[in-house]
Amino acid sequence: MAKTESNLINMVLALLIITLVAGGTLGMVYKVTKEPIATAKLAKQKAAIESVVPGFDNNPTDETYELTSAEGYQLEVFPCKKGSELLGVAISSKTMKGFSGEIKLMVGLKPDGSIINYSVLEHKETPGLGSKMQEWFNSTEKPSQSVLGKNPGADNLTVSKDGGDVDAITAATISSRAFLDAITIAYNTYTKEGGQK
Amino acid sequence: MNTFTVSPSPHIHSGDSVKKNMYGVIIALLPTLAISIYNFGLGALVVTATAIAACLLFEHLIQKFLLKQETTIWDGSAIITGMLLAFNIPSNLPIWIIVIGALVAIGIGKMSFGGLGNNPFNPALVGRVFLLISFPVQMTSWPTIKNTFLSYTDVQTGATPLSVMKEALANGELPTDVLGQIPSYRDMFLGLQGGSAGEMAGIAILIGLAFMLFRKIITWHIPVAVLGSVFAFAGILHWIDPMMYAPPMFHILSGGLFLGAVFMATDYASSPMSNKGGIIFGIGIGVITVAIRVFGAYPEGISFAILIMNAFVPLIDKYIKPKRFGEVAKKK
Amino acid sequence: MNQKENFLKGFFKENAVFTLLLGMCPTLGVTSSAINGLGMGLATTFVLVMSNIVVSLVKDMIPDKVRIPAFIVIIASFVTVVELLMQAYLPSLFESLGLFIPLIVVNCVVLGRAEAFASKNNPLSSMIDGLGMGLGFAMALTMLGSVREFLGSGKIFDMVVFPEQYGMLVFVLAPGAFIALAYLIAIIDKLKKA
Repeated sequence: MAKTESNLINMVLALLIITLVAGGTLGMVYKVTKEPIATAKLAKQKAAIESVVPGFDNNPTDETYELTSAEGYQLEVFPCKKGSELLGVAISSKTMKGFSGEIKLMVGLKPDGSIINYSVLEHKETPGLGSKMQEWFNSTEKPSQSVLGKNPGADNLTVSKDGGDVDAITAATISSRAFLDAITIAYNTYTKEGGQK
Repeated sequence: MNTFTVSPSPHIHSGDSVKKNMYGVIIALLPTLAISIYNFGLGALVVTATAIAACLLFEHLIQKFLLKQETTIWDGSAIITGMLLAFNIPSNLPIWIIVIGALVAIGIGKMSFGGLGNNPFNPALVGRVFLLISFPVQMTSWPTIKNTFLSYTDVQTGATPLSVMKEALANGELPTDVLGQIPSYRDMFLGLQGGSAGEMAGIAILIGLAFMLFRKIITWHIPVAVLGSVFAFAGILHWIDPMMYAPPMFHILSGGLFLGAVFMATDYASSPMSNKGGIIFGIGIGVITVAIRVFGAYPEGISFAILIMNAFVPLIDKYIKPKRFGEVAKKK
Repeated sequence: MNQKENFLKGFFKENAVFTLLLGMCPTLGVTSSAINGLGMGLATTFVLVMSNIVVSLVKDMIPDKVRIPAFIVIIASFVTVVELLMQAYLPSLFESLGLFIPLIVVNCVVLGRAEAFASKNNPLSSMIDGLGMGLGFAMALTMLGSVREFLGSGKIFDMVVFPEQYGMLVFVLAPGAFIALAYLIAIIDKLKKA
């Protein structure tokens, strides 16, 4: 086949056909993958909730509602129930006080406000220092650095350097303060605005 | 192998040699070592000895087995790299980390580029920054001074004045309040502050500087440009807003500024050849240091600043050529 | 050049990463672990093979003056297909590769092969070329990822070799990518000459 000549009509036609075919193909692929993508996203969110409030049998994403914290953040609340009993809530909380800005957490609270577990969703802290949040504060071997089971209402959830009950990550005091700040925001918002719902 | 020295013409031999200059630098480093041992005891000695031994060993191994050259480890440069590396790390650092630092300093920082005189970056700083990024916890837990003379790893640790200042300012405290929590200027100058093994005593480093100037090992241009520009830039910031920025004297006396300005920025291979180039180089280091300290994530920035300016040296040398011997300034 | 040579050249003789130094952005950006390197390499391989086949099929229909935009549209379509498929069926890999998947579009290896090879050869050789080049790229990325993961966190493909606390964190971060790549290139160059 001879090479198509580079005149205007040929160029327009060639590009038109290519873009049409490409567009059609992409539309098809999009349609096919739309549902699996949505399922994968839901599964991920559910897994994050499951990791902070284990053992629920309802569908927390269906009953979700939003609360506004004192700082003006919109926090999403996912009630987790077993049968009709409220096991606790998973709250997505955040703080801007991190060493490099925003830190996003998912915190699991019992109805009385004590911490079941947490999961760090997003952060920009220094690798090797502040980035250790996920492992540091739920250590089962070292209760002095763990926040699990503590209740921000009864315990002093600040780093020990500031007179609190939690040991900060070695050499990462600012990240540790920010982490505890995000937890406290979740607690305050939940107990003041929407407790016992 | 002959050791060639790259220098602008004329090539008059003045009795200088690499070896003589290198051992001069080592002598100049001794006062700092003495203060370090006085402050940190056994730890300083262990760290320095380990770093020097490891640097010599790695240089020897690389020259013998990888480059198949005759070994030149006794020209003194590996000893200096070892000492400077040791002075830039906490004196309670585990030995295996020091050995990694020495391997990186000699292997990556120096021998990969072809050995003495070819390294574009200061080898000790390459090792130091590598360790700082790799082992941030160990590299930022400095032992407090003069607690137990004979202990090595099991010592009390504390923050340096720079990190205290950085954290306090981030918390919204006033610089003047912070100055009350840290050693006085006089104590800082005499070396009574926490920090890496050899960076805290301004006075010891100034003695070394005087010695090196007297022996004409280095010229005054780079150290003065670094210290002067730090003072000026920090002073301007402090003058704009005294509530937000620490006073310039604090920046001069804290951290590794003296050590960097005197011993590391002046490294022959990685600094500009001309005096005018040296001044530009020094100002660059000073400004970047303050910028990192004030606006950056790390409390101390001198080592990054020197490495960044090292990268500019070929460019500086290209545009600031040393004056040719006998050249007369052109009339306009 | 027979087809076997055509296939094998992508591994060492004309390896995209070690010899041609193409596609440095994903090479340095995503290789913080062996599995990331492998995933990125295979995704690129898929795009490379498909775009090479299609470009070589339509090469005579496309006027010369608009060939680059046409190639880009073809490549971008396949990249989007990979992105959607990965998001749907391999969400965890998609999360760690994230931003770098759409960037396959501007990977010089892909456009380079379309321009330098597929637009001059028949579909079969183009497919083999794409497969060889892509797998060579994947191999290079996996090697770099393994080295970085091993030195940085003491693991290879998530299998623990030594405790993580002894890992040199710098290798997981960007500067370590440059250092590790430089030494890998040096070693491979030495081996090629030997």
